[in-house]
Amino acid sequence: MSVLDDIAVVGVAETEIGKLPGRSAIQLQAEAAVAAVADAGLAKADIDAVFSFSGYSQAMMLHAARVAEYLGLRPELAVVTDVGGPGTHHAALLNAAAAIDAGMCTAALCAYGENGISIRRAGRGRAPGTLTGGEDFEAPYGQIAMITGYALFAQRHMHLYGTTSEQLGAVAVASRHHASLNDNAHKRHPITLADHQASPMISSPLRRLDCSLISDAGGAFVVTSVDRARALGRPFARVLGYGAAVTHHIPSQAPDLDSLGGPTAAARAFERAGLRGADADAVYIHDACTFSVVAGVEALGLCGPGEGGPYAASGALGLGSAHPVNLHGGMLSHGHAGGVFHLLDAVRQLRGAAGRRQVEGAEVAVVHGNGGVFSAFSTMVLGREDP
Amino acid sequence: MSPAESGKPRPDLGDAVAAPYWEAARRGELALPRCDACGLVFAYPRRFCPGCWCGERTWQTMGGGGRLWSFTEVHVAFYDDTWAGDVPYVVAVVELDEGPRLLANLIDSDPARLRIGARVRVTFVDRDENLTLPAFKLAP
Ligand SMILES: [Zn+2]
Repeated sequence: MSVLDDIAVVGVAETEIGKLPGRSAIQLQAEAAVAAVADAGLAKADIDAVFSFSGYSQAMMLHAARVAEYLGLRPELAVVTDVGGPGTHHAALLNAAAAIDAGMCTAALCAYGENGISIRRAGRGRAPGTLTGGEDFEAPYGQIAMITGYALFAQRHMHLYGTTSEQLGAVAVASRHHASLNDNAHKRHPITLADHQASPMISSPLRRLDCSLISDAGGAFVVTSVDRARALGRPFARVLGYGAAVTHHIPSQAPDLDSLGGPTAAARAFERAGLRGADADAVYIHDACTFSVVAGVEALGLCGPGEGGPYAASGALGLGSAHPVNLHGGMLSHGHAGGVFHLLDAVRQLRGAAGRRQVEGAEVAVVHGNGGVFSAFSTMVLGREDP
Repeated sequence: MSPAESGKPRPDLGDAVAAPYWEAARRGELALPRCDACGLVFAYPRRFCPGCWCGERTWQTMGGGGRLWSFTEVHVAFYDDTWAGDVPYVVAVVELDEGPRLLANLIDSDPARLRIGARVRVTFVDRDENLTLPAFKLAP
């Protein structure tokens, strides 16, 4: 028995996504938060804990206290988790589970969001600044954006396994197809492999259409106990298994491709769930770039090591396949804002509330991926539960 | 020093643990710490050996040769115009013959000739009057 067995995700919500000038990051977080609490069938007075992260475009100290204050909440707990990627949200679930188990909260609001586009246009964007530890030895060389780090791994995967740019393009095309089925996605017009191949090189071998979006957006979810979730009378999501693995922070300190933390995190989560990747009806992979999905399907055991490129190109990522990936459109097409939307859409799939992109009868969803540059991996297996 | 150069990220040259690294680079040498307890040669320099947590080390001059572990040609100046005069530039991870991996720029090398596994040699670039950065170029 784990404290994770007794928690439920009962509400999810996201704001509009795209270029939203005039809406601060905390406003977007608050909009998503209020909508998520309503989606849960709960009210302001029910919320007694806040978990959050400010995002990186406008990093803030004590962010959870700011969210609580902005929303007029005076909770016992207001906690920031910053694992990177999906781990940030998974760690909020882990904290909420422990807090519920300890009697410190009964219903936790978890709020995220950034105004990644608009803050930049206001001329206050992140600039290369203070360095700590190992960054002293990388940033002076212009290793200042995540995507260049990902490019190093994509290049090596191509060298070791023969992965091609066209195979990466298949990820971009599949993500955009899913986004075209999602009215709230940032980029909805379909793209072709030719569009991908014609898009400009950003950091070789990654082209513009290999890169995730920058978006203004907020997303939030609400966690409570399974007993309380049942009383709310709607299907909800339970945590079936959770695993994580951290190997490094900056690219030069990473293990080689065959020893990154992805397969380890996934194996830990699946062992705890008593399931495997092939049991997932819907798969969500934190797609900082197209190559993240290639690495992700390998890590989840949906194909063998090094086979992620051909797997993607085979059509296995799309709605209608056995294990469709990123049905909301992913960060490649739906929106970024720290990647909380993968978890939100996994919950929607399990509640049967995903509209045109619904996987009929979805029972198991997996949310997987990393923060940093393949630095901190996190895998969560979620299951549908009826009240 | 141009405004762009001054805006680029700089290491903390006053960091006592790392200072020998940057002082060696000023002299045109690539030096790394070797753990006095377990013998691990490690990069980047830090307070404790990442292998065994021993706090004592001896600085060792590297041979300067290695192989290209991976690379990327960066075509975009991110965030602002700080790197606009540099693009396209090559960021590489090099595995030194002594074992550790370093990230650095690959310079004076035809991008079309870059291959993972290719032999490279260290070289040095003066960024300003106080800072010299190790870099690499393809071995002839
Ligand atoms: Zn040692």
